[in-house]
Amino acid sequence: MKRLRAPILLTIVAFAGLVFVTRPDWAQNAVEFSFHAFQDSRGVTVLAPVGSLDKDFTDRTGLRLKFGVDAIAAASDSCARCHPSGRGMQHNYFDAGITHKFGDLKVDAGAEISRENFYSSDSGMLSLSRDFNKGNTTIAGGYSFQYNQANLHPSDNVATQWSHDMYASLTQTLSKTTILQLTYDYNRVTGYQNSPFLRTHVNDIMMLGNVPDLRNRQALAVRIRQALPGETYVEADYRHYSDSWSIGSNAISVGASHYFGPALLLGFDYRKYTQTGAFFWQPFYTGSPLYYTGDFRLQPFDSGLYSGKMVITPELGFWGMPKGTSLSLQYERYLATTNFQAATFSLGVKVPW
Amino acid sequence: MRLLSALVLLGALVAAGCATVQPWQRARLANPCMVFDANGHQLAFDTHWQAAREAAAGGFGVQSGGCGCKQ
Repeated sequence: MKRLRAPILLTIVAFAGLVFVTRPDWAQNAVEFSFHAFQDSRGVTVLAPVGSLDKDFTDRTGLRLKFGVDAIAAASDSCARCHPSGRGMQHNYFDAGITHKFGDLKVDAGAEISRENFYSSDSGMLSLSRDFNKGNTTIAGGYSFQYNQANLHPSDNVATQWSHDMYASLTQTLSKTTILQLTYDYNRVTGYQNSPFLRTHVNDIMMLGNVPDLRNRQALAVRIRQALPGETYVEADYRHYSDSWSIGSNAISVGASHYFGPALLLGFDYRKYTQTGAFFWQPFYTGSPLYYTGDFRLQPFDSGLYSGKMVITPELGFWGMPKGTSLSLQYERYLATTNFQAATFSLGVKVPW
Repeated sequence: MRLLSALVLLGALVAAGCATVQPWQRARLANPCMVFDANGHQLAFDTHWQAAREAAAGGFGVQSGGCGCKQ
């Protein structure tokens, strides 16, 4: 629990800072702070404060900075094998991005540094987008890479992994009340893709897994938003995923939001997810298998995610913050057919300044 | 390839079958409920924990790193 005090303190300090920097005479751009909590049935608790700043320097150039912490109290079965009372860990990340418009073309470039116990990740990204047809059509594309290093705990050995990701999207206004987006995403991961923590039974002996060092992944997503009369909005998303490990998944989500007056928005969302297992996944192994894994994410399962949210945007602001300040609350409940369960709670404050 | 073909076909159908909405007609389209990924913090958090519990992350652009809560 000692580890979990840091994010709580950070939350309090960030809140105090937020009040200070959002004096009305600064009123431009936006600063955002959120606090997320996650708990699951494997005994993992995560507290995650995040802060970000968006600042336009000119009408064509903007900067975005983001810093976040995940404080993890893990008492999962894999941790408890060596640490019976659980194990605290921390994940810190910082990312920065710059946006510049060259006429109708918008260019985003950014980088992220991510550090946690036994794992580090450095990534860079570049994306381009352009509006056509009086802003009714937007075509975008991007590339990102990650260089990941996993410490093979409890040894001091380090394994590396490269990930390359490309995406293309088309966003199209269909009418005054309907907008649709199509996205295709391709991801190629090479190098170490095992887990140094998860073990499986091979001929009744508990062993770390051995998985292919190449994985090609692709996903196609279709999303639509529809405004209905009476300040009601509905949304529907579908995503189909497949990869070279024979994992296929379909995710469908539907949701609705309604304004109860100008200051209060309530919404709910339901997501249904199904996936097939990796071609080498089995509950236990016999003989001399080439590949074997204890990674619970690679087995076939279905899940449902129920979300409810509330956004309050008082007409005159609140807590001395400027007009347009919003407070959001979200609760999520996740239930899988593997008996895995999770719940999350999020609190966010967004302040224009 | 099938996914790419489906995307191209869908894109062509969408681009061909829609009317131009003028800037002064976009009031409801500008509402945050109609903007994809309007809440970046929530999206990043959801994407991250789902990637740590499901094998099929991706499909909405750039992802964040990290694997600490995957044990």
